[in-house]
Amino acid sequence: MNSQSSRYTKVDEGALRTWLSRLGGQTRVFAPKSGPKGIVDWAELDDGGLPDLDLGLPLNSIKVFYFPQPEILFTFNARPGQPDSFRLREPEEAGGEIVLAGVRPCDARSITLNSLPYAEDPYFQARTDRLYVIGFPCMEGCSTCFCSWVGGGPGSTDGMDVAVWQMPGGHFVIEAVTEKGGKLMEGLHGAGPVAEPSEEELLHIEQWRKKGLGQAGEDPSLSMRHKDLMACYQAPFWQQVADCCINCGTCTFLCPTCYCFDIQDEKARGIGRRIRYWDSCMFPLFTQHASGHNPRGEKIKRVRNRFMHKFKYFVDRFGPLSCVGCGRCIRQCPVNIDVREVLRDLLAL
Amino acid sequence: MAGAERKKGRDVNREITQELRKRAAALLASGDIAAFVGFRIGSHPMIMRPFVARSPEEAERLVWNSFCVINLANYLPGLLRSLEPPRRPGDPPPEGPLPKVGVVATGCWSRNMVVQIQENQIQRQRVVIIGIPSRGMIDRRKVELAAEGAEITGVQEGQHKLKVSTSRGEIELNRWDLVRDNCLTCQRPDPVIYDEMIGQPQWERKVSEPFRQVEEIEALDPDERWAWFTQEISSCIRCYACRNACPLCYCPTCFVDDSRPQWVGKSREPVDTALFHILRAYHCAGRCTDCGTCESVCPMGIKMRLLTRKLQKDVKELYGFEPGLSLEEPLPLSTYRPDDPEPYFDIRPVDESPKPVSGGGGAGEGDMGRQKG
Amino acid sequence: MGAERENSGTGGQWEPRIVAFLCNWCSYAGADLAGVSRLQYPPYIRIVRVPCSGRVSAQLILDAFRAGADGVWVSGCHPGDCHYISGNLYARRRFVLLRRFLEFVGIEPGRLHFSWISASEGEKFAQTAARVAEEVKALGPSRRLVKRFDPQGRVIPAEQVTG
Repeated sequence: MNSQSSRYTKVDEGALRTWLSRLGGQTRVFAPKSGPKGIVDWAELDDGGLPDLDLGLPLNSIKVFYFPQPEILFTFNARPGQPDSFRLREPEEAGGEIVLAGVRPCDARSITLNSLPYAEDPYFQARTDRLYVIGFPCMEGCSTCFCSWVGGGPGSTDGMDVAVWQMPGGHFVIEAVTEKGGKLMEGLHGAGPVAEPSEEELLHIEQWRKKGLGQAGEDPSLSMRHKDLMACYQAPFWQQVADCCINCGTCTFLCPTCYCFDIQDEKARGIGRRIRYWDSCMFPLFTQHASGHNPRGEKIKRVRNRFMHKFKYFVDRFGPLSCVGCGRCIRQCPVNIDVREVLRDLLAL
Repeated sequence: MAGAERKKGRDVNREITQELRKRAAALLASGDIAAFVGFRIGSHPMIMRPFVARSPEEAERLVWNSFCVINLANYLPGLLRSLEPPRRPGDPPPEGPLPKVGVVATGCWSRNMVVQIQENQIQRQRVVIIGIPSRGMIDRRKVELAAEGAEITGVQEGQHKLKVSTSRGEIELNRWDLVRDNCLTCQRPDPVIYDEMIGQPQWERKVSEPFRQVEEIEALDPDERWAWFTQEISSCIRCYACRNACPLCYCPTCFVDDSRPQWVGKSREPVDTALFHILRAYHCAGRCTDCGTCESVCPMGIKMRLLTRKLQKDVKELYGFEPGLSLEEPLPLSTYRPDDPEPYFDIRPVDESPKPVSGGGGAGEGDMGRQKG
Repeated sequence: MGAERENSGTGGQWEPRIVAFLCNWCSYAGADLAGVSRLQYPPYIRIVRVPCSGRVSAQLILDAFRAGADGVWVSGCHPGDCHYISGNLYARRRFVLLRRFLEFVGIEPGRLHFSWISASEGEKFAQTAARVAEEVKALGPSRRLVKRFDPQGRVIPAEQVTG
C-alpha cells in the first residue's frame, strides 16, 4: 500500500461532484435517492449530483448489486435435434462496472461478511470485482442503528474501496481504502484542486474510525461463540418471538447479510435458463424435503433458525456475527420483531 | 382548550386499553380462554407488536391505539390449532371442548372472522371476540412523508391531532390526513360479531364515493392502466408479506409454490411479479374485507389494495354481495344464481346482428335464449 | 436469434396463437361437429379439452398468456346443461370477475373470450372461432404477460416482445 500521505486526498465539494459526474459518464453510478412515495432507495446518480447524506439508509441493501435476483447461471437451447441442443452456455459478462456512491459503513461491511460463505462463489466474486464502493462514514446514527454493537462502527471502512470523510470545514478527505479504490481516485486529479490533508484532519479521521468501537463491552461474537448451542436452541423466549412473526421474507430480503438462494430452471419458447433467486428461511418451502417431511414445518422453528444462524451458527463457523447493525429489519418488520431484543436475550443466557 | 383536547384524546385510547386489559385478564384468569391475541408496545413508535397473552399477568401488556394495523384474524387458525392436543394425520378429532382463544376485533377483522367461520378455518365456539369499533388506523407512511425524512421517535395521539416527535423537532398533524386509505372509505367500522364490546359504536359511515380510487383507474385507457399497474408493482421484492399477513391466504401450498405446473416464477421478473399480484388479488375475490393489512405490511409501500378493491366493487355490482356480513350468505365464488349476469358471453357470430345483452331466463331451460346456432 | 419457430402463416404474416379451453361434453363436441361438417374456421385456434368449463381456473388462463398465447377462449355448456350440473354456473362468476379484473390491470379486453356452445352447435362454434380470431388478430401479438427469454437468458421486456 502507498504511504499514508498519498492515500488521502483533500478536495472541495465541487471537485467531488465533478469526479462523480465524470464517473457517471464512464460507468453506472448509483446513489440513495428519495422516490415518489418518500421511500429512499438506490437510483442512478444525477449528473453533477452528490449523494444526499440526509436521506438515511436506502431501503434495499447493496446486495441487490452483487447478488441480483434473478441471476442467470447458464442458458441452453431447449429444442431437441439441433447442433447445440441442451448444451450449457455460460452467461454473458456480468454487466459492466458499477459504482455505488453514498454507501454506509454497515452496507459496505456486508460485502466482507458475505464473502465468508461465498469465498468460492464465482458469480459473487465476479460481481464484487466489478463493484466499486464509495463509502461515506456516518456522522450520526438513528435510533435503529447498532453497528457498533455487532462488530462494525460508524467510522468503519471495511468493505469500501474509497471512503469519503466529510470534514467540519465542509470539504472532503477522500481515502483510497483498496487498490481498486486508488485506481478509481485517479480521476480526482483534474476534477478540481487537490491538496494533502492536514495532520489535524488525519487525526479527526482516526478518531472517527474508533468511534463506537468498544462500546459493546465484550465482543458479542466472542460471547456467542462460548455459549452452549443447545442452551440457545432451547431457550424459553423463542415462543414469544415466533407468536407474532408472519414468516414473510421482509427481514431476509432487506438484510445485507442474508444470502440464501434457491436455484431453478426455467424454459420459454425454446430457450432455457438456470437462475438463482433469493430464498428465505422464513418460507415453509425452504426446508421442505422431497419426501414431504419438513424439519422446520413449524413457525417457531423457522424463526428460531434465522436468529440462531446469524448469531450462533455463523459465528461458530466463520467468527463474526452475520449482522451489520443497519436496522432495516427493525424499521420494516411488519410485526416489529426487534433483532436487538433477540440478541440481548441470547447474550443474557 | 388545546390541553383539554389532548387529554381527552389520550383518554380515548387509554380507556379502551385499560378496559381491554381488564377483560382479557378476566377471561384468562377464569380459564375460559387459553390465550388472548392483541397488541403490545414494541420498539417502533408506529408499529404495534401483535402479542399472544397466555396469563392474566401478560394481559397487562395489551394496548390499543391507532397503529394497530395487523389483522389479528390472521393468527387465529394457527393459534387454535397449536392449542389442540397433538395428533397425527388420520387420528380422530379429540373428544370434548377444545381450548378457546380470545381476540380483539374491529369492523373489518370481525368480518374476516365471519369469512373464516364460513370457510371452516375457525369455529365460532372456540373464539371469544372483544369488539372495538375503529376510529380509523393511521398509515405510518403518511406520517413519515409528513415528517419529510426526519426520524420519528414518538407519537402522541389526540382526538383529532397527532403530536409527532422527530429528530428535527416536534410537529403537529391533523389525524384525519393520516388515516389509512381503506379506513377513509370504510362504511362499517363496528365489529359485526363479538362477545363483548369496548368503546363507542361508530355506526355505519356514509361514504360518498367508496370506490373512487378504483374508478379513477378504470377511467384510464388500457395502456395507461398497464403503465400504472406495472409501475406500482415494480419495486416488489416478493417477500410475500402481503400474502402472509392476509387472513384469507391460508392455503397449505400457495399457488406460488406449485412447481408442477409452475404458474408463477419465483424471481423478481416483471411478468412473474405481475402474475403473483393478479392471482393473489383474484383469489381474494368476494372474500376480502379491505382491512388494508396487505398494504400496511408491504416494505416497499405498494398499493396492492387497489386490486382487491376493484374486485370488491365488481362483486358488489354484479352479485350484490359484501363479504363478512352474514354467516348464512354463501361466498360469491362458491355459489351461483341461475340468472347471474354474463356480459362477456355474447360473442356475436360474424354474420348476425347484435342482440341485446340481458341477464337471461331461469335455470334448466337450456339455451339462454340468445343465439341459436 | 435462437431457434425460435417463426409464427407466420403461409404469407409470412403474423398469425395469432389462440388457446381454446373447450369442455368435453358440449363445446369440444361442437368443435368436432364443425370439423366433421367441413365448416371453415381459422386454423390457429389450439384446442385444449377440459372435462368442464368449471375446471378452468384463473391460473390456467394466465398460464396460457404467460406462455405466449395471444388470445384465450373458454367455452362450455349452456347454463343449465352442464354435464356436472353446475360446473359452468360457478365458472360463469369466475370468468366475469377475471375478465373485468384483467381489463383493470391493462390487458386488452379482446384477448379473453367466453362462450356457451353446445354439442349440436357446430356452426356457432365456427362462427365464434372466426369472431374470436378476428378480435385477437386486430390486437396484434400479446406482449403484456408474456415470459420470453433472449439467447442470453434475460427476460424480454413487454415492449420488445414480438410475435
